[in-house]
Amino acid sequence: MKTPFRLDDHPRRAHPFSAPPADYFDRLPTRVMARVQPGATRATGLGWLLALPAPLRTALASTLVLGSFAASFFLARPAAVSTPATADATLAAIPQTEVVQYLLTSDQHVSLNDLTVLAATDQDLTASFLPASSPELEEALESQPIEDTYL
Amino acid sequence: MEDQEILAKFADPAARNVAFNQLVRKYQSKVYWHVRKMVVDHDDADDLTQDVFIKVWNHLGNFRQDASLYTWIYRIATNECLTFLSSKRRKFFLPINDITAELSAKVEADTELAGDEVEMKLQKAILRLPDKQRLVFNLKYYEDMKYEDMAEVTGTSVGALKASYHHAVKKIEQYVNEQS
Repeated sequence: MKTPFRLDDHPRRAHPFSAPPADYFDRLPTRVMARVQPGATRATGLGWLLALPAPLRTALASTLVLGSFAASFFLARPAAVSTPATADATLAAIPQTEVVQYLLTSDQHVSLNDLTVLAATDQDLTASFLPASSPELEEALESQPIEDTYL
Repeated sequence: MEDQEILAKFADPAARNVAFNQLVRKYQSKVYWHVRKMVVDHDDADDLTQDVFIKVWNHLGNFRQDASLYTWIYRIATNECLTFLSSKRRKFFLPINDITAELSAKVEADTELAGDEVEMKLQKAILRLPDKQRLVFNLKYYEDMKYEDMAEVTGTSVGALKASYHHAVKKIEQYVNEQS
């Protein structure tokens, strides 16, 4: 019959596992001293990070990841979103005379009535797009046939 | 060098490094093996042992000498071990049995235990204990620490420690006998 195992009868090992490398305890004090010296962590530039508690390091890392994600999201947004403001600015930069000349010369079917309405909203418009002096205008009106005028 | 002498030297900025070097040399083997028995793996024990001494360096100036330096260092080492094991569980979402299996695999790979079947079963039985009970068992069985000192290290009453050790021995003997 097999004898039951009793802990008190079992030979006790001081160190139950395999020993560390031969010079381990000779080098350990030097390694520890190197880590506690003030310059040791500063030299890495990230010593302050290692000194933070683990939960704070995790929170900081999470914030950085979320911040990077948010920045990537905003930077990657389609350029079309900002198009209206850009289009308005570009259109406003074109001189009105060029716009009117374009409308008159291209096949846009702009009627005189359209131009009349446009002039009514902007009193200075005619002065800017009609390159004619007052005497020239009077001469042009004088030469109009009488039946074409609305008196 | 006596602990009191180490503490007196440590208080002097000019002698601080020498005193701390003496402290590490005096306690490194005890701390290392205390940690090693809890985490089994040498590399983990090496990291934790260094962390223990860095904490000792950082807090030794505030050490009030209510307890002995010896039990104070053991308390830091114990807390480091328990934190390491619990964070390992949280990190990998491992239940307690998986940690035991992981540590058992490391025990099986240890060349020191190869060929000693009973010792191997004993080590596996110890690993099956809850962390705190394993700690109590190791301090009493391997280091023959006084219960009063163990109470300072663990923050547990002497009566509770005696009961915990007694139950640990029973569990270990039962497991080894079942495996035979």
